[in-house]
Amino acid sequence: MPTLIIDHQKISVPEGTKVIEAAEKLGIMIPRFCYHPALGSLGACRMCAVKFLEGPVKGVEMSCMTDAADGMVVSTTDPEAVEFRRYVIEWLMLNHPHDCPVCDEGGQCLLQDETVSGGHGLRRYQGLKRTYEDQYLGEFVQHEMNRCIHCWRCRRFYQDFAGYLDYGAMQNGNRMYFGRFEPGPLESPFAGNIIDLCPTGVLTDKPARYQGRRWDFQRGPALCLHCSLGCNLVGNARYRQMIRMEGRFNDAVNGYFICDRGRFGFAYANHPDRPRKARVGEKEVSLAEALQTAAQRLAQISDQYGSGAVAGWGSPRSSLETLGALQWLSRRQGWAEPRFFPHPSLERQVKVAISRLETGIAVSLRDLEKSDFILVAGADPVNEAPMLALALRQAWRRGATVAVIDPRPVFLPFEFEYLPVSPGVIDLCLDLLSKAALSADAAEGRLDPEAAGFYRLLTDEYPENPVSQDRLAALGRKLAECRNPVIVCNTDIVRDTTPGRAADHVRLLKAAKGRAGLFYLLPGPNAFGAAMLSAPEAVDLVEAIENGSVKALLIVENDPFRSYPDRERLTRALDNLELLVVLDYLPSATVARAQVFLPTATVFEKEFSHYVNQEGRLQQTAPLHQSGTPISQVGGGTHPPRTFLEFIPGGEPRPAAEILTALADALTEGEGDPAEGDLWGWLSRQHEAFHRLAALPEVEPDAGVRLLPEEGAVGAFSPEPWTKPGEPPTGQLELLLVDQTFGTEELAGYSAYIQKVEEEPHLLLHADLAADLGLAAGDLVALHLPGGEVTVRLKTALRMAPLVAILPRHRRLDWQKVYGWPTWIAPDRIKKL
Amino acid sequence: MAEQVLLLNRQTDRPLSFDEYRKSGGYEALMATLGSRTPAEVRQIVLDSGLRGRGGAGFPTGRKWSFIGKEHPRYLVPNTDEMEPGTFKDRVLVNVNPHLVLEGIILSAYAISAAKGIFFIRPSYEMDAELIERELAVAREARLLGNNILGSDFSFDLLVHRSAGRYICGEATAQVNAIMGRRPHPNKEVHMTDEGLWGKPTIVNNVETLACVPHILQKGPEWFKALARSHGGAGTKLYCVSGRVTRPGCYELPIGTPLCEIIAEAGGLSPGSELKAFLPGGASTSFMPKKFLEVEMDFEPLKATGNRLGTGAIIVFDQNTCLVGATLNLINYFARESCGFCTPCREGLPFIRDLLRRLENGEGKEEFIPMLKQMAHHMSKAYCAFAPGAASPLLGLLNHFEAEIQEHISQRQCPFKSLE
Repeated sequence: MPTLIIDHQKISVPEGTKVIEAAEKLGIMIPRFCYHPALGSLGACRMCAVKFLEGPVKGVEMSCMTDAADGMVVSTTDPEAVEFRRYVIEWLMLNHPHDCPVCDEGGQCLLQDETVSGGHGLRRYQGLKRTYEDQYLGEFVQHEMNRCIHCWRCRRFYQDFAGYLDYGAMQNGNRMYFGRFEPGPLESPFAGNIIDLCPTGVLTDKPARYQGRRWDFQRGPALCLHCSLGCNLVGNARYRQMIRMEGRFNDAVNGYFICDRGRFGFAYANHPDRPRKARVGEKEVSLAEALQTAAQRLAQISDQYGSGAVAGWGSPRSSLETLGALQWLSRRQGWAEPRFFPHPSLERQVKVAISRLETGIAVSLRDLEKSDFILVAGADPVNEAPMLALALRQAWRRGATVAVIDPRPVFLPFEFEYLPVSPGVIDLCLDLLSKAALSADAAEGRLDPEAAGFYRLLTDEYPENPVSQDRLAALGRKLAECRNPVIVCNTDIVRDTTPGRAADHVRLLKAAKGRAGLFYLLPGPNAFGAAMLSAPEAVDLVEAIENGSVKALLIVENDPFRSYPDRERLTRALDNLELLVVLDYLPSATVARAQVFLPTATVFEKEFSHYVNQEGRLQQTAPLHQSGTPISQVGGGTHPPRTFLEFIPGGEPRPAAEILTALADALTEGEGDPAEGDLWGWLSRQHEAFHRLAALPEVEPDAGVRLLPEEGAVGAFSPEPWTKPGEPPTGQLELLLVDQTFGTEELAGYSAYIQKVEEEPHLLLHADLAADLGLAAGDLVALHLPGGEVTVRLKTALRMAPLVAILPRHRRLDWQKVYGWPTWIAPDRIKKL
Repeated sequence: MAEQVLLLNRQTDRPLSFDEYRKSGGYEALMATLGSRTPAEVRQIVLDSGLRGRGGAGFPTGRKWSFIGKEHPRYLVPNTDEMEPGTFKDRVLVNVNPHLVLEGIILSAYAISAAKGIFFIRPSYEMDAELIERELAVAREARLLGNNILGSDFSFDLLVHRSAGRYICGEATAQVNAIMGRRPHPNKEVHMTDEGLWGKPTIVNNVETLACVPHILQKGPEWFKALARSHGGAGTKLYCVSGRVTRPGCYELPIGTPLCEIIAEAGGLSPGSELKAFLPGGASTSFMPKKFLEVEMDFEPLKATGNRLGTGAIIVFDQNTCLVGATLNLINYFARESCGFCTPCREGLPFIRDLLRRLENGEGKEEFIPMLKQMAHHMSKAYCAFAPGAASPLLGLLNHFEAEIQEHISQRQCPFKSLE
């Protein structure tokens, strides 16, 4: 721990700390441009010069390039350093256009701040300014290169941190240019981060352009709901609509960065067709009236068929408050147990997954970066949870081996081992890897009896393909050598057994190595919370409607028309209902069918809410604004009419939890104990995790709270030997319905910005298979699914499992024509049109 | 004429052939060394010889080699980038005696146990690159390159890499980045001797330095030291003389030869010219006035004057040359060649250029002088040695010829232009 003195203050810092970081710990912000905590030191801008008075370094040096050392005496205010820094800012400003009044960065610009603080007030350079031509960089990032001060942050993030190469530095000297080789959309789904990183207005948020200054915005902490990782955001709202998102630092989750889906997906909240009015039948009514009608009709059904004929159906995109309120209401009224997942098989998988997570095994995204061997089993990070790919890259940059076992042509922005296998073989590959890696540990009796028991069950029957055999063996050796392995597993395309199998292997590796981590991806931002609350046995609500046991459905922030795999069956079932009440904020197909519709508020509006991410981290999100119909300026410069209203136009939506509580009140007018209305009190009685929450201090820690059982609390292995699946049915292809970065995620699908960058939906086949079928990439094909035909263009790949057909759950594709999982289709069911 | 070592048997119209080189004892050092001396012994001999790098920095070659990391493969990068204005010695050397250069490379590779050499050459030296490639084939044919050279267990081969251009590519770390296809930025964070090309131990040496090695091994370190004129110097030096002299050219003289003798070797000043100033070692050294005529042209004596030997490229200016204009010319070059990585170099040099241009055009102001002084000094706080080098002639101008700047300001024009 070197101890040094900075500006007369003493501080001890860990070995390897840079002087600029040590100063920051003392609250001294040394000016900087190129240094960024996530990108590290570079030494390019020379802005952080300080004077070293005593110690191993002497004179004016860069504080970002100098390790803190014992005996150092540093002055950040020494005249020589100050004069040099004044020159640096003067140099940086030589060519800057000084167009702050028309620059979106104005008011939140590091260059402005440091120009003022650096004491550069008068222009002495009289020459011509350098100018550049700007480039089109896609729909997200606006490029205005004249403002550039060449701090390198964008390139270092884009190429070094994120691993994409289509944007970078060109030219030399003071002609140096940051951009693409030729204009075109940035390829990286993390490109938006260069907006946050740019210290001035070269790279600004295109959708938010000219929408306001920072001080115009209602700003606050928000959470990303576009996958299960729970990245932290700063939201900006103005004139009753959401304007832009920035990354918010969370050391345990996303670090400084977010993906473009998270950055630009928010616009669903501003959707022009967003239903903001309550409705009974076709008629718009007040929220109170709709509530009254809903309560009346629900009570009617309950009286007529018994209270079990009413069922609630929520989804993992809702907050804990909403899901909890739905469950509370259901139990209070004696309704059927509410469901929170689109179908039972997904619910079962998620439950298995969360039941296997405990402290000591669960790893955060940040922990993942410190792993030295990461096995991704049945997950496609860039498409499913983009920030996971960025975390994997950081692990790789530190020397980790990353291996992906997945049927899809997985792309990651770094080199990784890739084993393309069908979902049915993933369990087998896990077994073979552990078997190979831990043979010595097992032989020498280093495993505890339980682990040894599980080890003995592992198969060593290699699949027939000798290539994968060699590669599995080689990977097994690497797994044997590593010290801190992590298994990443999604609950999407894998077999029901895989999440549990992955957990067993993590326990086995932990028994052998002392350390091992488990990282799941789950279907939705609050899938963890939803699974925690769900009743033990998974029930198919559609089946319950079909057999007549459910007559009224209360659908809360859920669009089964999007998520239920068999749309025809769903439609028939809903037609049989006597009552459909829908609460939502999206203009969905389900909302359109509602007999009673109650508009709800989005995560950005009105109330604090909580979500549990895939590692069990409970995080709070704050309301940013009072929503309403966005204010738009119309007319040719005339003043808008000066009418003053007592309400916010379009401001009727309420948080779903509030509506459900109001519904409860309406159902039991005057009766009931008010204490029962305390949702969190009720939740803490329902689930141990919520009980522990009650004991937490009012202000939650920034990183959120892990709702996981103590280490060792989760039961032992679930040992079952691997059994060779009776699949595939000879010659048939497994249909995989998958996510893609843009286009399949529900909320972002309603964002006008994301819609602009969606890739067209494609059917993906192995190139050899396509050739055998006489098909070529680009062909329009008809795919006969069990429930009907889908017309789609074909794409092929060589780097993927051979016997699968991959279809994205794209919002513009009617894929909801399957009966369940796995779905097998004969190759002759794909025909060229 | 002084003893010729590197330019021995120099022909006026063609390079020496392999056979000619062999006849005059060429490759005997290599034959004598392989199998009889260990690489460590070779390194020690070179260390004892006092050979210092001829690329400009003057770092003791034997010491640089002693830092070589443990890992394999190791790389040797003979540097023929030679983008320093006024410098053309490497080109002359390669054209006089390509096989001396090759033998030096092979021996040096042996000294550091390098498996591969990458001959980095500037793009405008295309003919020279072709020459080296031709002679490489000859050497390979003679089993002097490739696997098991001369039947020993030492294997080494060399390929020619043509630079895409830019002065900064001459800087060792930038050069390594350039070879790897990255932006040629200097990198002060890594030790090249441990993590150079593709993360492996790498030595970058100027070809003139490498060409000294065969002679040192053959005739011994004491002989090499004795070649020098200056106290503590070692070897001969290829001096490039240009500017207002009668016979501009490349002259091999004992290192430490006084400047006036080198100028005399070049036939003295041009008729009608009177010495006003000179740059001792290329564009990135400082102007020196006439009073330094006796200075010994070696690393230490020049260091004592506050200047550098650099590449030993002497540029001579006479009484009719405007030094503000000359400085502007040089700064213009450096501003253009900057890699753009750090602020002082990327933005500061164009600012200096702008001020000099205004001075030269008669728009100069008194306050430019302190600004130029401050900026020239601040260039030392840039990332690499490029910016301080670029500021050197400006510092020389400010230190020794401020009166000339004042004349530009008071006359509101370049006094030399008014002479014309």
